[in-house]
Amino acid sequence: MRKGFVTMLGLAGLLMAAAPAWAHHAFAAEFDAQKPVKLRGTVAKVEFINPHSWIHIDVKEADGKVTRWMVEGGSPNALFRRGVTKDALPQGTEISVDGYQAKDGSNRANGRDITFADGKKLFVGGSNPDEQPGK
Amino acid sequence: MSRNAILLVVILAGTLAGQSKNYTPPRTPDGQPDLQGVWTNVTITPLERPANLAGKEFFTAAEARQYEKETVERNNADRRDGGAQADLGRAYNDAWYDRGTKVVDTLRTSLVVDPPDGRIPRVAAQGALVGPGGFGRPPEGPEDRSLPERCILWPTAGPPMLPSFYNNNYQIVQAPGYVMILVEMIHDARIIPIDSRPHVDSKVRQWMGDSRGHWEGNTLVVETTNFNDKTRFQRSGANMHLVERFTRTAPDTVTYEFTVTDPSAFTRPWSAQIPMKRTDGPIIEYACNEGNYAMEGMLAGARADEKKAASK
Repeated sequence: MRKGFVTMLGLAGLLMAAAPAWAHHAFAAEFDAQKPVKLRGTVAKVEFINPHSWIHIDVKEADGKVTRWMVEGGSPNALFRRGVTKDALPQGTEISVDGYQAKDGSNRANGRDITFADGKKLFVGGSNPDEQPGK
Repeated sequence: MSRNAILLVVILAGTLAGQSKNYTPPRTPDGQPDLQGVWTNVTITPLERPANLAGKEFFTAAEARQYEKETVERNNADRRDGGAQADLGRAYNDAWYDRGTKVVDTLRTSLVVDPPDGRIPRVAAQGALVGPGGFGRPPEGPEDRSLPERCILWPTAGPPMLPSFYNNNYQIVQAPGYVMILVEMIHDARIIPIDSRPHVDSKVRQWMGDSRGHWEGNTLVVETTNFNDKTRFQRSGANMHLVERFTRTAPDTVTYEFTVTDPSAFTRPWSAQIPMKRTDGPIIEYACNEGNYAMEGMLAGARADEKKAASK
């Protein structure tokens, strides 16, 4: 009986119509799913603000020209509660950003997947049971 | 599962969680049951019972662990599957989220406890809400975007208060004659008079309604009316009549229950129960308008969409 139930849950995971809600606002309204971008740059400024954080990076183009990009993250509150501070991402840190560009073509993207240059995750995971408040 | 087995699960779950309606809470200096502190209602138990769990009111412990495992995997924003739209929809890395990892201690399969099927008894044949703000057109200005996107009201901030995907934190402060509930999303403070004064005039309509509280034993009962017609809690709005019950059932738990009545939206009153667990916090100010660069981004996106459509 239990096995059947587990299988049923597995199916539910695939079929679940009630997909989880994400983010404070609709990212599809702001960014273009048909414009994926991969950026590598150095941190110029970090704004840990609500509703969403913004990481400003300087990206060196092939011709040596430097372009400033704004990369959108999430609410910083949960990060702060896990001990992340504004010093977590010092100016000059090299990061890689995988995201989607703004629909209006400006140099903004969402930080769909941000890592340090060596591929390590930027911040600790959000679903770590040991980090859950009120555990 | 037999009724006896269900009862056993309920009793076990209640005992294991150390929660009891008979728990005697500490008192405030003026003698009220003490609900003060920072609390979180984070849980992955869904508001309504999923269709595939129909007829199943409680998980066994093993089923709960399996459900938690699968739900945490499904919720993990670090996954990149499902195509570009789904990928973009997940917005950013999982580290920014805080959805929780556990079901509620009672092992109920839904937060809705009444009706017994765990589903909200909606009146039938209502059209779908259209567009992000329900306007059915590309947003011409901020007014055409949704309330949370405009930093006006978070859909789960309440009342009634429900868990969301992050910042599920509440601070309760009591003073003689008043209870204040600070909601982290989107920094709303609800000030509830605890006396017998009547509600404000029915012509006065407010985003979070008009709340009045009183004590029934150790339970704080809060009745809220006078909502405006712009909120859409489960399609209820101005007609919503809400009764919330806050009971300290353990040192680390306030059991939060609410009953919603609105014949224009529901075929009968319905109720939910959510544990609020003590957390170290802190509550952090969610100053929303000040940093809402995304509003400009979304409107610029709408203009870019129009330009693209016109050039075709």
